[in-house]
Amino acid sequence: MSQNFKNWPILTALVLATVPIVLMYSYLVLDTITNTEPGGILPSSFTLEHWRFLYEDIEGKANIWQVTLNTLVFASSVMLLVLSVSSTAGYALSRLNIPFRREFLAGVLILHAFPSITLIIAIFLILQLIGLYNTLIGVIIVMTSLQLPLGIWIMKGFYDSVPWEIEMAGLQDGASRFTVWYRLVLPQVRPGIIALGVFSFLSGWGEYILPTVLAPANNVQVLSGYLASLIADDRNFEFNLFKSVGLFYATPVVIMYLFFQDKLMNIYGGGTKG
Amino acid sequence: MSLSAKLGYVFIAPALVLVAVFFLTPVLLTGIFSFTNMSTATGITGGAYQITPSLLRDLSDQGFEKATLDSIGSESYQIAKATLQIAREAGSEPSLLAELEEEHLGQNFTSRREFERFLKKLQNRPRSTRELKSTSPHFRKSLINERFETEKDLKAALTELQTKLTPDQINKLSQAAYTGWVWTTDNFYKMTILPETKQILFNTIIYVTFTLLLFNVGFALFLAIATFYLPKGQAGIFRALWLLPRISPSVLYVVLWKWLTWDTGFLNAILNPLGVAQRNWMLDTTLNAWVFVVLINGFIGASMGMILFSSAITAIPKPLLYASEVDGANRWQQIRFIILPQLKWPILFVTVYQCLSLLTSFEQILLSTDGGPGSTTEVWALAAYHNALDNYWGNLQYGYGAALALVLVVIGVIMSFIFLRFFRFQELVRQPRIEQ
Repeated sequence: MSQNFKNWPILTALVLATVPIVLMYSYLVLDTITNTEPGGILPSSFTLEHWRFLYEDIEGKANIWQVTLNTLVFASSVMLLVLSVSSTAGYALSRLNIPFRREFLAGVLILHAFPSITLIIAIFLILQLIGLYNTLIGVIIVMTSLQLPLGIWIMKGFYDSVPWEIEMAGLQDGASRFTVWYRLVLPQVRPGIIALGVFSFLSGWGEYILPTVLAPANNVQVLSGYLASLIADDRNFEFNLFKSVGLFYATPVVIMYLFFQDKLMNIYGGGTKG
Repeated sequence: MSLSAKLGYVFIAPALVLVAVFFLTPVLLTGIFSFTNMSTATGITGGAYQITPSLLRDLSDQGFEKATLDSIGSESYQIAKATLQIAREAGSEPSLLAELEEEHLGQNFTSRREFERFLKKLQNRPRSTRELKSTSPHFRKSLINERFETEKDLKAALTELQTKLTPDQINKLSQAAYTGWVWTTDNFYKMTILPETKQILFNTIIYVTFTLLLFNVGFALFLAIATFYLPKGQAGIFRALWLLPRISPSVLYVVLWKWLTWDTGFLNAILNPLGVAQRNWMLDTTLNAWVFVVLINGFIGASMGMILFSSAITAIPKPLLYASEVDGANRWQQIRFIILPQLKWPILFVTVYQCLSLLTSFEQILLSTDGGPGSTTEVWALAAYHNALDNYWGNLQYGYGAALALVLVVIGVIMSFIFLRFFRFQELVRQPRIEQ
C-alpha cells in the first residue's frame, strides 16, 4: 500500500514461499495429460490414457460415475439440510421470543468451537446401534449435525443485520410471522444463504473421515474414499492416474471457489478446520 | 404462548433434535464408552456366554482349581436324543442310529477312542474306518466353545458336569465366560502405564507447537503483512494461492505432497542429478516425517490466520501509517509499532482456536504418514482413531479409543468455555462477517 517502501524484497520472499503450492498444483493439471520419463522433471509426451477411469472401471474399484453420484447426493443433501435447519433456527435465535434463547445461543457457540472429530468413535457406535451404519443417510445426518452450530451462528449473524423495520412493516400490514420471515426476511439474507450453502457443499464434497468410517461399503463410497482406496492399493501405483482422479474430483470445488471466493473467504476466516 | 414463541419452537426444533442426537449424545457416550471394555470381540449390544480354551488357561493362571478346569475342558461322547438327532441330520447310517437309540440310550464315554471301540462292536457297526470317523464326532459333547445365550443356560450346563462345582465357582466361571462388554476403569489405568501414551503425548506437543507457531500464526502473519504491502492485484493472487490447500479435498491435497516426496517423486527427480540418493523423503527419517507433517498441516492452517490478520490490518486507519512514514519510520518499525499491536487480539484468538483444532485434528497425518515411520508421528487424536476404528490386528478397541478421545473431549469442552468467557465471540469475530 505504501509508496515509500520497495516491493521487490516482499515479492521475492512471497514467491519463494509459494513455490511448493504453484509446483504441486500446476503439475496436478499437467500430469493428467502427459507422461514423464522416470526421473525426468518435464513431461515428455502427451496422452489421455490417465483419464481412462472415466469410461472403464479400475480393477476392484467401484464405478466412478456411481461414486460421483454418491458424492453429489451426499454433498447436496448436507447443503440443503444445513441450509434449511440453520436458516430457521438462526431466525428463531435472532428474532423470535423463545424461552432459553440465551442458553441456546451459548450452547451453539460452545459447540461451534468444539472439535467435533473427537466424537467420531461414539457416533460410529450410535450409527451401528440405530442401524444407519453403512448408509448414505447416516453420514448425511451426522455431517449435517456437526455443521449446524457453525451454520446457525452464521445465519443468526445475518438475521441480526436485517433492519427490524422491514418485519414491523410486514406485521403491520397483517402478514403472519412465518410469511414475514419467508417473504421479507429470507430474501434479505441471501448472501448468507449462498455463502453457507457453498461452504457446506464444499465441506461435504471434500469430507474424508466421516464417510470412510461411517459408510465404508463400496456401493456408498464417495470420491474421497475412492481416491484414498486407489492410493492404498499397491497393485497399480500410478501418480498420473491419482492426479487425474484428483483433478476430476477437485474441479467442481475450484469452479465454485472461483465464483464465490469473496463469500467463502469470510467463512474460512472464521476457522472450521486445522 | 405467543405466536412468536410457537413459531420459534417449530423453527428451532429440527436443529435441537439433530444437535442433541448427533452432537450432545456422542459427547456423553464418549464418556460412557470410555468406562467399558467394548471392542469388536465383545460387540456393542451385549454378549453371550462362552468358555474357550484360552479362558481356561487364564483361569488356571489365576489359581482356579486345576481338576475342576480339566473336567470343564474335557469332552465326552453321549448317546442321547440330541446327539442322535444331530447324527441323523448329518446323514449317518440309520440302522446304526436305530440300534444306538434302542439299546444304548444314555450311555457316556469319556474319550473318542473308547466310544469308537464301542461302536465297532455293535451289530450295525460302521463298515469302514472312514465311516466310523465321520460318525463319532456327532456324539461329542463339550462345554468348550459352546455358545450360551443366557447366564442361566451356562449355569445349568455347568451343574450337569460330573465334577460338582460350588456355586461360587459357577459364578466366577460364568462371569469370566461372558463375551459382552462390562464396566471397567481399566482403560484409564492402561493409559497411565502404557509407554505409548508418553510417546503420543510428546508427539502431540511437538505437532501442535511447531505447526501453530511456524505456520498458523507465524507464517500467517508474514502472509498477511506481506500481502498488505503489495498492490491489490498481486496480493489477491497470493491470497488465492494460499487458500488452495484449504479448499482442496484433503485426500487430493495429500496426494500432491506424496508426489512431491515419493521415491520416484519430484524432489528426487530434482535432487538425483545433484548426487543425492533417491529416497522417500516423507517417511525416510523421523525428522523428515515431522517436517512434512508440519508443512502439510501448516500450509492449510496458514490461511485462516492470513484472512483474519489481513482484515484486522485493513482496519488500521491509513493516516496513521502515512504519518509514521512522514516521521521517517522504516517498514520494520511500521510493522513493529503500528501493525503488530493492532493484531494482538486476532493473534491470541488464532492461537487458542487453532491450538484446539490442531490438538484434535488427525486427517492429514492419517493420510500422509499414518503415524509412521513406526509410531513416531502418531498424535493423540490419531491414536484414538487407530485404537477404536482402524487398527492392524483387527480387534477394534472402542472402549480404549473412547477413553483416549475423552481426554480430548474434556480439553475441548474446557477450551470452548474459555472461548465463550474470554473472547466474547460476538465482538471479536462473530459479527456478521459476510458483507453483501
